[in-house]
Amino acid sequence: MVNKKHISITINGEVKEAEVEPRMLLAHFLRDQAGLTGTHIGCDTTNCGACTVIMDGKAVKSCTILAVQANGRKVLTIEGLSKGREKLHPVQQSFVDKHGLQCGYCTSGMILTSYWLLKNKKNVTEEEIREAISGNLCRCTGYDNIIDSVKDASKKMEEEGDPIEEQPEIKVRA
Amino acid sequence: MVELSEKLVKGEGRFVDDIQMPGMLYLGFARSQYARARILRISGAQLTHKEVNFDIAEVGEGATEGGSELLKHPVLAKDYAGYVGQPVAAVYSDDRYVAEDLIDSVDIEYEPMKAIVDPEDSISREEMYPGVKSNAIVDRYFGDDFTPDSTDIVIERKMVNRRIATNPIEPRGVVAAYDGNKLTVWVSTQSAHAIKEGLSEALKMEPDRIRVVQVDTGGAFGLKGGLFPEYVVACYLAMKEKRPVKWIETRREHLLASRPGRGAVAKLKLFAKKDGTITGLKGEVIVDNGAFTGGSGEFSPIFIVKQLAGAYHLPNAYVRALSVLTNKAPQGPYRGAGRPEAMYFIERLMDGLADKLKMDPVELRLRNAATETYTSPLGFQVEKSRPFLESAIRELNYEKYKGKENVGFALLILYHATFGGESARIKVEDGKVRVWTGGNAHGQRHDVFIKTLLNEELGVSEDHVEVMKGDTDMLAEGVGAWGSRSSMVLSSAVIVAARKIREQIEKKQGKYTVQALLAGKWDHYEYFNYDRMESSLGANLVTADVDDYGRVKVKDCLSYYDLGRVLDPDNARGQNAGGAVQGIGQVLSEELSFDEDGLPLITSISDAGVLSADLVPRFDIKFHKSESPLPSKAKGVGEAPTIGVPIALSRAIELATGKTILETPIKPEYLLPVEKE
Ligand code: FES
Ligand code: FES
Repeated sequence: MVNKKHISITINGEVKEAEVEPRMLLAHFLRDQAGLTGTHIGCDTTNCGACTVIMDGKAVKSCTILAVQANGRKVLTIEGLSKGREKLHPVQQSFVDKHGLQCGYCTSGMILTSYWLLKNKKNVTEEEIREAISGNLCRCTGYDNIIDSVKDASKKMEEEGDPIEEQPEIKVRA
Repeated sequence: MVELSEKLVKGEGRFVDDIQMPGMLYLGFARSQYARARILRISGAQLTHKEVNFDIAEVGEGATEGGSELLKHPVLAKDYAGYVGQPVAAVYSDDRYVAEDLIDSVDIEYEPMKAIVDPEDSISREEMYPGVKSNAIVDRYFGDDFTPDSTDIVIERKMVNRRIATNPIEPRGVVAAYDGNKLTVWVSTQSAHAIKEGLSEALKMEPDRIRVVQVDTGGAFGLKGGLFPEYVVACYLAMKEKRPVKWIETRREHLLASRPGRGAVAKLKLFAKKDGTITGLKGEVIVDNGAFTGGSGEFSPIFIVKQLAGAYHLPNAYVRALSVLTNKAPQGPYRGAGRPEAMYFIERLMDGLADKLKMDPVELRLRNAATETYTSPLGFQVEKSRPFLESAIRELNYEKYKGKENVGFALLILYHATFGGESARIKVEDGKVRVWTGGNAHGQRHDVFIKTLLNEELGVSEDHVEVMKGDTDMLAEGVGAWGSRSSMVLSSAVIVAARKIREQIEKKQGKYTVQALLAGKWDHYEYFNYDRMESSLGANLVTADVDDYGRVKVKDCLSYYDLGRVLDPDNARGQNAGGAVQGIGQVLSEELSFDEDGLPLITSISDAGVLSADLVPRFDIKFHKSESPLPSKAKGVGEAPTIGVPIALSRAIELATGKTILETPIKPEYLLPVEKE
């Protein structure tokens, strides 16, 4: 039996402490231990982006990060976007309004990557959106409606601001 | 409509891997490392065929009855492994990481044999299994032999659509639980009823002891209509241990051992008069079945050959349909399932003929488009296509592109899998209208159009309606969501069920009101029978450029499809764009390739060629609306772009490079410009 490690991660503003095996992936920790199943897993090679979360302000693929590496950090998952509020987050609302999803499996990752983009950039162009979500695969939508959702979200964020209280400090992906 | 989307954007969908149960076991599989080998000894496994001695039952899209016992896919390999990735032994633990470790502790001793990889070689090789008479598991001729006119022009082409993984972003998965009498199975599927039927047959269990429940399904594209070995083992283990069992496929397992689609070779000769009028078709189509039955490899070649007249008047045809054994995972349906192959073959022949005659390809299509509905010598009814083609040329603005751009044009006929009909149940209780249907959506948003239809039929507003997921305990029978059928037969089942509910209320209360509907308790199950195969027409126009490095840039990608009554235009647009990306992927990048020993060369979803947003254009769809004869008046949606886009794109690339394109995907090196001296 491997030695378990103690970790403490702030997930969606709440501190979560646990003993985990060093090899446990952040994606599995979020899903199986923190019960946040909105983070999805679609591959084993860091290609699909279904598992994307925001960690310390960066969009990251949680299937490629160990839970122990997230120790002491802040993680925002899809559940955190509208947590504690009646209304959907503007990015979520835009995905609903502009049909940015079909099966919904890639959606959490798409929304969080888009959120990260919109925190970085105002008035995003179609090309910038395509580039930003190029690490997130969707097999259903053909991307058009996702791009329209992100454009719409860009407007909504301008007008309504970002309702997330504890604003993660967004950093440009290295 | 908002309900499901709102859940999904909050991460509150309930997909199969989201299910947690006390005492749950995680299942893992040790898989064959060889494409073809005798298995001499297995050690360190918790389950092998000695205990789990079942075969896969063939159910779902493209399933065929009967077939040789020898060719059935064993749930766990017996003494022979037929493809890399075939499940040989199973392990389990209450920890998913430990289950994975246990896979590595299984030791399998093999005696490798020379694999059969190329479908064209298969027939001339030794039989794959002792006892099998031929490696051709299907070998039939369609049409009647004919003697072409000696003055006819002949276009002879070999065309290939290589294997593609279906690659839904959610992999396959199942959870099974057993209470001592009843087995309950939660599954990511297109058809809860097909899974139930298959499990009952494979496990030899009475159907009423099995309940299959569909959970949110993260895409399927044909894959998830059938039953898989892993599901049977999960059920077996749940019953044996009396604990819930979960199995979730990894992407790597998906690429190795789910049922990929396409995998067809055509060698055809098209005959025509000098004015371009086609006179006949001869040749053969070979489908790469893989090592076992259980997918759609027996159905595919026949289905392909019957469609080979395309949307044209074809007076004579004689074509052989073959399906052959190879050391690969069984072939299965992938979005279009035989339709894209058939249209690719005939349409690429048409382009070849146009070039030979120095005729405009669209002009040639006009000359041959069926002017009356007729039955082709290969078996299927071809609908009158000339008027549609004329309007497609206008709507897609072909004249604007012609001669100026590298423009490809495709005319297609989409055969909907309407046969078999579909079921629906409407149950009203406590002011809620709940609806179950036999076809299970996995991204097509049946909930949206079902609510529209119920509003029309019963005047009930959408917030009173709840569209339920597939559940075999709530619905007696059902078929499944595939073959562009749901907007036709599923919607019709819902309409008829709603009308019957209305009648019930009228009978009891004299007249129908929404108040009476919501205040009462009503329940109606309807099986909408339909034994015909309907069809619809479509056209695509694609332009592309190719740079000096052989990189293809798809510029315009336009669709014009006859959807009859468009039940949900937003979703129809979304499905069109999604299908078009798959169509582009088929031409540019998507392939499951193998080396000469049958070892798969593809290990990630990106290697498999699934395209990202930066590599595709924006899409445009125009609707042609000639209503279908069904109560819903709609026609099928899902598969048209995967049929038409590869054809039109291949042609556009051909014009851009001057190189004949007869294979998908195109190998990038093939497009490199020839060095000029
Ligand atoms: S699951 Fe993380 S990138 Fe695919
Ligand atoms: S909506 Fe299905 S994968 Fe994106």
